[in-house]
Parts: sequence; structure tokens; C-alpha cells
Amino acid sequence: MERRIALKSMALAVGALANLPAWASGWTKETITNTAFLSADQAKNLVAIVETMIPKTDTPGAGELGVGDFVQKMVTDCYDAKTQSSFTSGISNLDQQSVQKSGKSFAESSKEQRLQLLKDLEASSDMAQKGFFSLVKNLTIQGYLTSEYVMTNITHYELVPARYHGCVPVKKV
Amino acid sequence: MANFNIDSKKARTYDAIVIGSGISGGWSAKELTEKGLKTLVLERGRDVQHIKDYPTTNMMPWEFPHREKLPKEVTDANPIASRCYNFKESSAHFFVKDNEHPYVQEKPFDWLRGYQVGGKSLLWARQTQRWSKYDFEGPARDKFAVEWPIGYDDIAPWYSHVEKFAGITGNKDGLDSLPDGEFLPPHELNCVEKYFKEQVSKQYKDRHFIIGRAAHITQPNQIHLDQGRAQCQNRTLCERGCPFGGYFSSNSSTIPWAMKTGNLTLRPHSVVHSIIYDDKKQKATGVKVIDATTNQMIEFYADIIFVNAAALNTNLILMNSTSSRFPNGLGNDSGVLGKYVAFHNYRATVSGEYEGFLDSTTDGRRPNGGYIPRFRNVYKQETDFLRGYAAGFGANRQTSNDRSGIGESLKDGLFQVKYGNWSVGSHMMGETIPKESNYVSLDKTQKDAWGIPLLNISVDYDDNDEKMIKDYVEQVSEMFTNAGFKNIRSNDGKRNPGNDIHEMGGARMGKDPKTSVLNKFNQLHACKNVFVTDGACMTSTSTQNPSLTYMALSARAVDFAVKEMKAKNL
Repeated sequence: MERRIALKSMALAVGALANLPAWASGWTKETITNTAFLSADQAKNLVAIVETMIPKTDTPGAGELGVGDFVQKMVTDCYDAKTQSSFTSGISNLDQQSVQKSGKSFAESSKEQRLQLLKDLEASSDMAQKGFFSLVKNLTIQGYLTSEYVMTNITHYELVPARYHGCVPVKKV
Repeated sequence: MANFNIDSKKARTYDAIVIGSGISGGWSAKELTEKGLKTLVLERGRDVQHIKDYPTTNMMPWEFPHREKLPKEVTDANPIASRCYNFKESSAHFFVKDNEHPYVQEKPFDWLRGYQVGGKSLLWARQTQRWSKYDFEGPARDKFAVEWPIGYDDIAPWYSHVEKFAGITGNKDGLDSLPDGEFLPPHELNCVEKYFKEQVSKQYKDRHFIIGRAAHITQPNQIHLDQGRAQCQNRTLCERGCPFGGYFSSNSSTIPWAMKTGNLTLRPHSVVHSIIYDDKKQKATGVKVIDATTNQMIEFYADIIFVNAAALNTNLILMNSTSSRFPNGLGNDSGVLGKYVAFHNYRATVSGEYEGFLDSTTDGRRPNGGYIPRFRNVYKQETDFLRGYAAGFGANRQTSNDRSGIGESLKDGLFQVKYGNWSVGSHMMGETIPKESNYVSLDKTQKDAWGIPLLNISVDYDDNDEKMIKDYVEQVSEMFTNAGFKNIRSNDGKRNPGNDIHEMGGARMGKDPKTSVLNKFNQLHACKNVFVTDGACMTSTSTQNPSLTYMALSARAVDFAVKEMKAKNL
């Protein structure tokens, strides 16, 4: 472990993180969080959706880890207009259903209510609703599993493995 | 300042000029400067200094906002680059963008380029297999293209020369179809790969499976430490540029080495327009360059010129270098310049699963794979198609997690890793036959931003390639079946020529000036002080990843050129 850290800091010391090329200047934390694709209410609902999918337990949930911003960023930058519009209407529909059922927005509903609304969505026979559900679920899982918290504390990503062993017992991994 | 022009001309005069700083240009520069020649390296793109200009190299996965996927805006604007496996968020800055440097596709061709110091040596797959005598003998035996003017014995010492410096990992396998080199310790095959190796040698006396030979320092020698390079750390993030110099690139190795001699001048942003030919002196005297930052035309002069602009751009420069002596392009008395372009056929893959070794897996990462050397038509013609294919092979233990449901159960499930079968996979690397009908030419009307004609590319597969794909799928599927692999599937990705990034030929080597452009020392038959040692020189393609051969040919040609210069023959 110490060797790994030493190697990584050596690499960091000689590397230059601040030197991104001009065309990649969109790659800063500020621009990730400043996406103005969803309205403030929709964004709040999206955070509630990802947090409901992967909630806080003894470790942080997807909402706290900023996965809502990740999902929004991905849909904004990497998907076509059709997917983008079904994404926004999916969030709005979910919110409307929440209001109809409990008089509260999705974000303000109880944990149980939110979970039930999403389960209803998953079981829906409406293709658009199902598509919205799986888009958001897949991106939530991706964003959560590749979050700094999870990769650092749970799955222990190694930037510098410094080894390859071709045959080790499964139990030891 | 009375003699400003004379002084200025003197300041622009070198012993040698190298056009291009990629894998072959870097080698030409290293060898020329080590031999004491004041050398100018012209690079059309920007400078990329080792480590300092690898902006993504130490970024963590979560630091990429799209987790390596490129925004739709980028993929829509760059359909050609986007078809390259290596074009992603962490490496896209090393690729030419489609609209920045257009070309004409008479037939679909994915021309993948890296316009920067180091060229594509930053991005390459680092596989470095030597050619054997059977590869060089191909055209003569099978009567296509023209006979190679060199054989394995001519190049073998130069393979050794470049391998020792570049750092090549490999195992001494003792195969005459794939000669051993100067190897650093080999990467390890995993359990299923070792098993496949046993199965292959048990069931086929003429087929082999080995660990790939690759340009990775698995254990540095003094010569690597002297370059400032360290042992490969198994990051497998090579395409970002390696802060350890663990793999070979011009940037980590040959360029800084040449710089240390004090004899190198590296000039980025220098788009070569043409090579200047002097009718009276009957040789080339220099190079016309457009400075990409000022758009000014500047001339540089030298006694020796090495053209290492990458295969197709080297063709373009030679074709654009016209004079009264060479109205159809420099050294093009034969009329074959631009013709007989070939590539590697990477279209088909075969995959499967293995249900053994379920108590085992791998640990860490390996920047290399397994390799099946060509076994078809090696010693004699035995199929209904010419030549053959090598194949990559690798095995990985499959893992999956439980992604069902939502809420706490989903969160738990994501970390319940289940081990599945081993997945096994192979891809083909087929030799294509150089033909007159596969060519590049200068477009008659369209020009680039600097007034240089666009390149027309007209290259396609043929019936031989189709037959080879069929045979590869049959043979590898059979090898998989015999090894007890299950769920065997094949796929023909129908990728365009060029997507292999192994385009070769157009200025081929040959014995006869009437049918070739270069002689056995990569020297233009008709213009003795110009040398071409990149992919353009290739008479045929065989199946090996070609970069190692370009390196060896470059070092060999420089050795010859400098001896000739000293003997006043140039």
C-alpha cells in the first residue's frame, strides 16, 4: 500500500495536472456543476431520484456524492435531443405523479413514497417511462461506482498497480 | 548585417533534415545526432514534451466528467477519429480532428493521425514482433508486388540495435516464423492463456501461442535509466503518455536523447510543403516549410533529408515535390509513387468462454496480450488465398455484480461481485496484398489551409482478404473448440481500411528503379540524398505490427547515409 502511494505521488510530482489543452477546457469541476440544462426544481428532483436509487446507509448515497450532477452532465453532453427531452419530461412526469399521490413534489416526499414511485415507474408498461427509468438507473450506477468516494474507499482503484499476476486464487482478491 | 540573406541562409542550413517526429522520425533523429550531424526535425504539429505535456496522465477516473466517453458534439464532428478504439476523453487531444485536416476518400478509408511531436508513438499499441525471412520472401515467392531488396539477415542486427534501446519485453520462443529479439523479461500469461498454449502445441505442430513482444520496460537496463525512463508500472493508461516512460515513444526516448547530443533542433508547427530539388546539383538541397503559426514559407537546407512524415503524408510530400527533373513527384521515374498501398486486415474477431480455472483470476494489469504467429502459408502455399494472418489472443475472468432493484438492495448488490466463466477473445491481423489499384494521389482541385493539395485515398479490400477472413474465423473457432472453449462466436466488424492504423507502401523499396522508388537502403533510386524510412517504404505488409521494422530500417538507413556522406557519395 505504501509503495503504491509513493509511486502515485512520484507520478504526480513529475506530472502537470493544470496543463489541459484548450479544447478540453470544459473539464473543470465548475463546468460540471454549472450545467443549466434542467431547471432548479428538476435538478433537485434528479438528486432525489439518484439518492432514492442508491441511498445513504452507513456510507454516503448517490445524491450526496454528486451523482445527480453527473447524470445531468452525461445526458446534456453525450445524448441526442430525443433522449434529452424524454429525460426532462421523465423527471416532470415523476414529479406530477408524486404531487397527485401525496400533494408533495418528488424531492419533498418521504423516502418510502419516493421508493414506491420509482418502483411503479420500473413496472410501468409505458415504454417512455421504462426508458427513462433505465437511462437514469444505468447512469446513476455508473456515476456512483466511478465516484471518488466509492473508488477510493470501497473498490480501491489503483492508478499505479505496478504488478500483474496471471493466476491468483479468487479468494485472495 | 550587410549579408543578412547569406547569414539567414546559413542559420537555416543543417547537416540533415528529418521530416516528422513520430516513431521513425525520432529514430532517424537519434541516429543522425549521435553520429554528430546537426539535425533539424520538422514537426507539423505542436510540441509535446515528455511528462509536462501529458495533461491527463495522472487523472483519476472520476476526474473525467464523462468517464472517458466523448461528448456527442465531439463524436459527431469526428466520425473518423471516433471509430478508433483509442479516441477517448483521456487521449483525444493527441488525435487529429476530422475537420481540421480533411482528405478525399475515393473509397472509405479511416486515416487516423497524430499531429504533434511524437506523432502516433504516444498512441500506438506497442506490439513489436520481428519479421522473419519468410515474411521478406513473400512477394518473390508468391509473385505479387516486387521482390524485397533486403532479407532478414540484413535487418536482424538493426532489430537488435533498436530493441536494446527501446526496451522490448518478450519471451525467447525459438520460432523461426517469428524470430526472437533482445528481450527484457516477458509478461506473464494467465492460467487460461497458459492452458491454451498447451492445447495449441498439443494439437497443432505448426501453430503456436506466445506472450506478445511489446515496447515496455519490464526491467530497466542502464540504457533505459540513462534515458530517464523507469520500469513499466502496469497502469495500462499508455495513450495518455506515460510519466514513467514505461513504454517507448519518441517523446520519452529518442527525441530527448537526440536533444542531449546538442545536435538537434526541433521545430514544431512546421508544415512541410515539398522537398527542394536542384537540377544542377542533381540532388535535393532542402525543404520548403510553411510555419503554421505565421503562414510564412521558409526554406531549410541540408545535405541529407529523411522523410518520416508517416506513410501517406510521406507519399503526399514526395508527390508534391515537383521539379523539371521530377514532374511527377520526387524520385518518381518509375511512376509507382503513391501506388501499391496496403494495410492490415483487422476485420474479424472470435470470442468464447472457458469454464475451467474457476477458482482462479488475475491481479493487477498487463499492457500486453497473447499472440498467435502466422501459421498459414508460411513455408509453402497451402490455401486458396495468398499469405496469412497473425492473431491476438487473451483471456479474462468475467465478473458481474447484482444490478437488480433499487434502494438499499441495489446498493448492496453492486458490491456483491460474482465470478463468471473466463472470457476468451481473438482478433485477426491479416496481410493485404499491395496492388496498383490501391493508391493515393494529389487531389487536382482541393487544397488544405496552406495551399497544399489534399490527399486522395483509394484503398479497398479484395477477394483475397474476404477469403482470409473466412479462414481465420474457421481456424480460430476450431482452435477454440479443440481447447474446450464454449459459446464461440465470430464477428466481422467490416471496419474500413486504415482503421488498423497500419497503412503502408506507396514509395516501396525494390531492386529495380523501374518498378520501385527506394533501394535497399531506403534511398531514393533517383535522388541519392533523400531517404524514406517510415511505412511508405514497405514493399509488402506481412502480419506483424510494423513500427519495430520502421525503427530498424531508420537506424540502418542513417548508418548507410552517414557513411555515404563521408565518402562523398551523396
